[in-house]
Amino acid sequence: MDVQPTRMELIKLRRRIAMAKKGHALLKMKRDGLIMEFRTILEDAKRVIDEMVQRYREAQEKLALAMAADGVVAVKSIALSVDKEPSFTLKRKNIMGVVVPVIKREVVRKSVAERNYGVIGTTARIDEAVEAYEALIDAILEVAEIETTLKRLIEEIERTKRRVNALEFRVIPSMEDAARYITFKLEEMDRENIIRLKKIKGKKEKAEA
Amino acid sequence: MKKLAIIGDPEFNLGFRLAGVRDIFDVVSDEELVQTVEKVLESEDIGVAVIKHEFLKKLPLALKRAVDESVEPTFVAVGAEGGAEEIREKIRKAIGVDLWK
Repeated sequence: MDVQPTRMELIKLRRRIAMAKKGHALLKMKRDGLIMEFRTILEDAKRVIDEMVQRYREAQEKLALAMAADGVVAVKSIALSVDKEPSFTLKRKNIMGVVVPVIKREVVRKSVAERNYGVIGTTARIDEAVEAYEALIDAILEVAEIETTLKRLIEEIERTKRRVNALEFRVIPSMEDAARYITFKLEEMDRENIIRLKKIKGKKEKAEA
Repeated sequence: MKKLAIIGDPEFNLGFRLAGVRDIFDVVSDEELVQTVEKVLESEDIGVAVIKHEFLKKLPLALKRAVDESVEPTFVAVGAEGGAEEIREKIRKAIGVDLWK
């Protein structure tokens, strides 16, 4: 161990140990808080992702049907005429130091009249496919928010956990070892000193006698 | 106002075109995929990027990590199973218990 066995060093070490312990307690609380947050979001995430997958399947099915019945070219040409983009705003939120996106959805769905293609020239199958895809986008935006939040939280939990463990099993014990070493060394030096004084005293008495 | 981007093969993208999304990237080859993802990552006005689940799995590791960590744009994997499997694996690794289902 490469520490100077001095009183100053011991005082410094004790201070650092106290601080490390405080940090450890705080991090532990942070970890528990994150896990609690995580568990509430997890339920939502499961539901939302399942929903999205289901909507994706539906949308694909309807699109395939439209393409089969009306022809790929018709579907593609209609796709070109739709020009109302789905819009949303993205903000950032901070959960215990984790930056997560918050997505505000605005009208993703449009009424038939708002879509820029003629109702007469197209069929209900295409309308349905468009509608299904609009619903899918809605679901995707919801997933985007929740899934990213969840991923971010998992990462943060892992990192916090690692730090808690490092403090608990490595940093604090090694500092405590060093502190113990210094106390023993200081005691040893004290004893040496006493013996030395006694010897000197003995020699002095001998000389005087 | 942020935009939605779609990365996928032409077939995957057609439906999104129908819904009015304009920032759509048709990707056919793997090199194109990498280039497109990099471009989307750097883009200022794209808020959410939808990527086909199979494509996400194909990305090189470093890029995949960048995609995972990016908040703006946020990437969402869409496909027959969604990103559920990866999240499940991550949860298992981070918490030590499979909390998913």
